[in-house]
Amino acid sequence: MNINVKSLTQSTTWTIILITILTIWSELSKPFKGFLTNFSGHHWVTKGIFSLVFFIILYFILSKIYEDSLDVKKETYYVVGATILGGLIIFIFFVEHFFS
Amino acid sequence: MVNNLFKEKNNNYQEMADPLIGIHAAVGEIGVLAFLWVFVELINPSKERIKRAKIIALIGVIFLFASWFVGGYYYVDVYGSEVKPLIKEGPAPWAHSVITETKEHVFLFLPFLSLLTLGMIHKYEKDLIKNKDAKFSLLLLSGLVVLIGLSMAGMGYLISTGFRVALEAAV
Repeated sequence: MNINVKSLTQSTTWTIILITILTIWSELSKPFKGFLTNFSGHHWVTKGIFSLVFFIILYFILSKIYEDSLDVKKETYYVVGATILGGLIIFIFFVEHFFS
Repeated sequence: MVNNLFKEKNNNYQEMADPLIGIHAAVGEIGVLAFLWVFVELINPSKERIKRAKIIALIGVIFLFASWFVGGYYYVDVYGSEVKPLIKEGPAPWAHSVITETKEHVFLFLPFLSLLTLGMIHKYEKDLIKNKDAKFSLLLLSGLVVLIGLSMAGMGYLISTGFRVALEAAV
Protein backbone atom coordinates (compact mmCIF):
# COMPACT_ATOMS: atom_id res chain seq x y z
CA MET A 1 0.00 0.00 0.00
CA ASN A 2 1.41 3.37 -1.02
CA ILE A 3 0.86 5.81 1.82
CA ASN A 4 0.44 9.48 0.96
CA VAL A 5 2.11 11.13 3.93
CA LYS A 6 1.07 14.68 3.04
CA SER A 7 -2.59 13.60 3.06
CA LEU A 8 -2.05 11.61 6.25
CA THR A 9 -0.47 14.51 8.15
CA GLN A 10 -3.13 16.97 6.97
CA SER A 11 -5.96 14.53 7.79
CA THR A 12 -4.51 14.15 11.29
CA THR A 13 -4.17 17.92 11.76
CA TRP A 14 -7.74 18.61 10.58
CA THR A 15 -9.17 15.72 12.64
CA ILE A 16 -7.56 17.16 15.79
CA ILE A 17 -9.01 20.57 14.90
CA LEU A 18 -12.42 18.92 14.35
CA ILE A 19 -12.29 17.17 17.75
CA THR A 20 -11.45 20.49 19.42
CA ILE A 21 -14.31 22.31 17.64
CA LEU A 22 -16.84 19.51 18.38
CA THR A 23 -15.81 19.53 22.05
CA ILE A 24 -16.21 23.28 22.55
CA TRP A 25 -19.30 23.62 20.34
CA SER A 26 -21.14 20.80 22.12
CA GLU A 27 -20.55 22.49 25.48
CA LEU A 28 -21.73 25.87 24.25
CA SER A 29 -24.80 24.67 22.32
CA LYS A 30 -27.34 22.39 23.99
CA PRO A 31 -29.16 21.58 20.71
CA PHE A 32 -25.86 20.51 19.15
CA LYS A 33 -24.99 18.35 22.16
CA GLY A 34 -28.49 16.88 21.91
CA PHE A 35 -27.91 16.07 18.25
CA LEU A 36 -24.61 14.36 19.07
CA THR A 37 -26.27 12.40 21.89
CA ASN A 38 -29.22 11.32 19.75
CA PHE A 39 -26.94 10.14 16.94
CA SER A 40 -25.34 7.27 18.90
CA GLY A 41 -26.75 7.45 22.41
CA HIS A 42 -23.78 9.40 23.83
CA HIS A 43 -22.18 12.65 22.65
CA TRP A 44 -18.64 11.37 23.24
CA VAL A 45 -19.25 8.23 21.16
CA THR A 46 -20.59 10.36 18.30
CA LYS A 47 -17.52 12.61 18.48
CA GLY A 48 -15.34 9.50 18.14
CA ILE A 49 -17.37 8.14 15.21
CA PHE A 50 -17.40 11.50 13.41
CA SER A 51 -13.65 11.94 13.93
CA LEU A 52 -12.83 8.48 12.60
CA VAL A 53 -15.10 8.81 9.55
CA PHE A 54 -13.83 12.36 8.88
CA PHE A 55 -10.20 11.20 9.11
CA ILE A 56 -10.72 8.30 6.68
CA ILE A 57 -12.77 10.29 4.13
CA LEU A 58 -10.43 13.29 4.26
CA TYR A 59 -7.40 11.06 3.77
CA PHE A 60 -8.87 9.46 0.64
CA ILE A 61 -10.00 12.82 -0.81
CA LEU A 62 -6.64 14.51 -0.13
CA SER A 63 -4.67 11.58 -1.50
CA LYS A 64 -6.50 12.07 -4.83
CA ILE A 65 -5.59 15.77 -4.80
CA TYR A 66 -2.04 15.89 -3.44
CA GLU A 67 1.04 14.38 -4.93
CA ASP A 68 3.12 12.84 -2.21
CA SER A 69 5.90 15.38 -2.14
CA LEU A 70 6.20 17.34 1.03
CA ASP A 71 8.31 19.07 3.57
CA VAL A 72 7.78 16.35 6.18
CA LYS A 73 9.23 18.45 9.00
CA LYS A 74 6.88 21.37 8.29
CA GLU A 75 3.83 19.08 8.07
CA THR A 76 4.80 17.41 11.34
CA TYR A 77 5.07 20.82 13.02
CA TYR A 78 1.46 21.49 11.95
CA VAL A 79 0.33 18.22 13.54
CA VAL A 80 2.28 18.88 16.75
CA GLY A 81 1.07 22.51 16.85
CA ALA A 82 -2.57 21.46 16.38
CA THR A 83 -2.20 18.82 19.10
CA ILE A 84 -0.66 21.16 21.68
CA LEU A 85 -3.02 24.05 20.89
CA GLY A 86 -6.09 21.78 20.74
CA GLY A 87 -5.21 20.20 24.08
CA LEU A 88 -4.58 23.57 25.72
CA ILE A 89 -7.79 25.07 24.32
CA ILE A 90 -9.85 22.13 25.63
CA PHE A 91 -8.19 22.27 29.07
CA ILE A 92 -8.51 26.07 29.44
CA PHE A 93 -12.11 25.94 28.22
CA PHE A 94 -13.11 23.40 30.90
CA VAL A 95 -11.21 25.30 33.62
CA GLU A 96 -13.05 28.48 32.65
CA HIS A 97 -16.35 26.57 32.36
CA PHE A 98 -15.86 25.13 35.88
CA PHE A 99 -15.26 28.48 37.53
CA SER A 100 -17.94 30.39 35.62
CA MET B 1 -30.35 11.48 49.92
CA VAL B 2 -26.94 12.28 48.56
CA ASN B 3 -25.46 10.82 51.72
CA ASN B 4 -27.42 7.61 51.16
CA LEU B 5 -26.21 7.48 47.58
CA PHE B 6 -22.65 7.91 48.81
CA LYS B 7 -23.01 5.15 51.37
CA GLU B 8 -24.63 2.77 48.93
CA LYS B 9 -21.93 3.38 46.32
CA ASN B 10 -19.20 3.28 48.91
CA ASN B 11 -20.29 -0.18 50.01
CA ASN B 12 -20.35 -1.35 46.39
CA TYR B 13 -16.90 0.01 45.65
CA GLN B 14 -15.39 -1.46 48.79
CA GLU B 15 -16.38 -4.83 47.40
CA MET B 16 -14.62 -4.43 44.06
CA ALA B 17 -13.56 -1.72 41.62
CA ASP B 18 -14.76 -2.17 38.03
CA PRO B 19 -12.16 -4.32 36.24
CA LEU B 20 -12.77 -2.40 32.99
CA ILE B 21 -10.96 0.66 34.33
CA GLY B 22 -7.91 -1.48 35.10
CA ILE B 23 -8.00 -3.07 31.64
CA HIS B 24 -8.37 0.36 30.02
CA ALA B 25 -5.36 1.71 31.93
CA ALA B 26 -3.20 -1.39 31.34
CA VAL B 27 -3.95 -1.59 27.63
CA GLY B 28 -3.37 2.16 27.22
CA GLU B 29 -0.05 2.01 29.05
CA ILE B 30 1.13 -0.89 26.88
CA GLY B 31 0.26 1.26 23.83
CA VAL B 32 2.25 4.17 25.26
CA LEU B 33 5.23 1.94 26.13
CA ALA B 34 5.15 0.59 22.57
CA PHE B 35 5.60 4.12 21.23
CA LEU B 36 8.39 4.77 23.75
CA TRP B 37 10.05 1.65 22.29
CA VAL B 38 9.52 3.03 18.77
CA PHE B 39 11.12 6.34 19.87
CA VAL B 40 14.19 4.54 21.22
CA GLU B 41 14.54 2.35 18.09
CA LEU B 42 14.48 5.43 15.86
CA ILE B 43 17.04 7.54 17.74
CA ASN B 44 19.76 5.77 15.80
CA PRO B 45 17.91 3.78 13.12
CA SER B 46 19.32 0.74 11.34
CA LYS B 47 17.55 -1.75 9.07
CA GLU B 48 16.83 -4.07 11.97
CA ARG B 49 15.66 -1.27 14.28
CA ILE B 50 13.30 0.14 11.64
CA LYS B 51 11.86 -3.34 11.07
CA ARG B 52 11.27 -3.68 14.82
CA ALA B 53 9.83 -0.16 15.05
CA LYS B 54 7.27 -1.03 12.34
CA ILE B 55 6.03 -4.06 14.25
CA ILE B 56 6.01 -2.31 17.64
CA ALA B 57 4.19 0.74 16.23
CA LEU B 58 1.49 -1.56 14.83
CA ILE B 59 1.14 -3.19 18.26
CA GLY B 60 0.98 0.28 19.82
CA VAL B 61 -1.82 1.35 17.44
CA ILE B 62 -3.82 -1.81 18.20
CA PHE B 63 -3.45 -1.30 21.96
CA LEU B 64 -4.36 2.40 21.82
CA PHE B 65 -7.50 1.58 19.80
CA ALA B 66 -8.31 -1.20 22.29
CA SER B 67 -7.86 1.29 25.14
CA TRP B 68 -10.23 3.66 23.32
CA PHE B 69 -12.95 1.02 23.05
CA VAL B 70 -12.57 -0.43 26.56
CA GLY B 71 -12.29 3.02 28.17
CA GLY B 72 -15.20 4.26 26.08
CA TYR B 73 -17.38 1.35 27.13
CA TYR B 74 -16.54 1.99 30.80
CA TYR B 75 -17.04 5.74 30.44
CA VAL B 76 -20.47 5.41 28.82
CA ASP B 77 -21.74 2.38 30.74
CA VAL B 78 -20.33 2.83 34.26
CA TYR B 79 -18.61 6.17 34.83
CA GLY B 80 -21.49 8.44 33.79
CA SER B 81 -24.04 6.82 36.07
CA GLU B 82 -21.95 5.60 39.01
CA VAL B 83 -18.76 7.64 39.35
CA LYS B 84 -19.47 11.08 37.88
CA PRO B 85 -22.38 11.94 40.25
CA LEU B 86 -20.28 11.09 43.30
CA ILE B 87 -17.26 13.10 42.18
CA LYS B 88 -19.47 16.10 41.38
CA GLU B 89 -21.08 15.95 44.84
CA GLY B 90 -17.75 15.38 46.60
CA PRO B 91 -15.03 17.76 47.77
CA ALA B 92 -13.17 17.71 44.43
CA PRO B 93 -15.78 18.28 41.70
CA TRP B 94 -13.07 19.70 39.41
CA ALA B 95 -11.78 16.12 39.06
CA HIS B 96 -14.72 15.50 36.76
CA SER B 97 -15.56 18.97 35.43
CA VAL B 98 -11.99 19.79 34.38
CA ILE B 99 -9.90 16.62 34.37
CA THR B 100 -12.32 13.98 33.05
CA GLU B 101 -13.73 16.39 30.49
CA THR B 102 -10.22 17.23 29.25
CA LYS B 103 -9.04 13.61 29.35
CA GLU B 104 -11.96 12.14 27.45
CA HIS B 105 -11.55 14.62 24.60
CA VAL B 106 -7.75 14.92 24.36
CA PHE B 107 -7.59 11.12 24.42
CA LEU B 108 -9.30 11.16 21.02
CA PHE B 109 -6.13 12.70 19.52
CA LEU B 110 -4.08 9.60 20.36
CA PRO B 111 -5.42 6.98 17.89
CA PHE B 112 -4.91 9.39 14.97
CA LEU B 113 -1.40 10.42 16.06
CA SER B 114 -0.47 6.75 16.45
CA LEU B 115 -1.85 5.90 12.99
CA LEU B 116 0.13 8.79 11.49
CA THR B 117 3.32 7.57 13.17
CA LEU B 118 2.77 4.03 11.89
CA GLY B 119 2.01 5.31 8.37
CA MET B 120 5.17 7.42 8.32
CA ILE B 121 7.38 4.55 9.45
CA HIS B 122 5.98 2.45 6.57
CA LYS B 123 6.48 5.29 4.10
CA TYR B 124 10.07 6.10 5.06
CA GLU B 125 11.31 2.66 6.11
CA LYS B 126 13.72 2.42 3.16
CA ASP B 127 15.39 5.82 3.52
CA LEU B 128 14.89 6.62 7.19
CA ILE B 129 18.61 6.12 7.88
CA LYS B 130 19.54 8.93 5.44
CA ASN B 131 16.41 11.12 5.64
CA LYS B 132 17.08 13.22 8.73
CA ASP B 133 13.84 15.19 8.42
CA ALA B 134 11.71 12.04 8.39
CA LYS B 135 13.65 10.64 11.35
CA PHE B 136 13.22 13.90 13.29
CA SER B 137 9.48 13.96 12.47
CA LEU B 138 9.01 10.39 13.65
CA LEU B 139 10.87 11.06 16.90
CA LEU B 140 8.68 14.10 17.45
CA LEU B 141 5.44 12.18 16.77
CA SER B 142 6.28 9.08 18.80
CA GLY B 143 7.48 11.33 21.64
CA LEU B 144 4.21 13.25 21.46
CA VAL B 145 2.19 10.01 21.69
CA VAL B 146 4.22 9.03 24.78
CA LEU B 147 3.77 12.42 26.47
CA ILE B 148 0.02 12.56 25.81
CA GLY B 149 -0.30 8.95 26.96
CA LEU B 150 1.54 9.71 30.22
CA SER B 151 -0.66 12.76 30.77
CA MET B 152 -3.69 10.45 30.39
CA ALA B 153 -2.31 8.27 33.18
CA GLY B 154 -1.75 11.35 35.35
CA MET B 155 -5.28 12.58 34.71
CA GLY B 156 -6.62 9.10 35.48
CA TYR B 157 -4.87 9.31 38.85
CA LEU B 158 -6.48 12.71 39.58
CA ILE B 159 -9.93 11.37 38.66
CA SER B 160 -9.46 8.34 40.92
CA THR B 161 -8.37 10.70 43.71
CA GLY B 162 -11.50 12.81 43.18
CA PHE B 163 -13.60 9.65 43.44
CA ARG B 164 -11.77 8.40 46.52
CA VAL B 165 -12.10 11.67 48.45
CA ALA B 166 -15.80 11.75 47.54
CA LEU B 167 -16.25 8.27 49.03
CA GLU B 168 -14.18 9.17 52.11
CA ALA B 169 -16.18 12.33 52.67
CA ALA B 170 -19.33 10.26 53.07
CA VAL B 171 -17.89 7.58 55.38
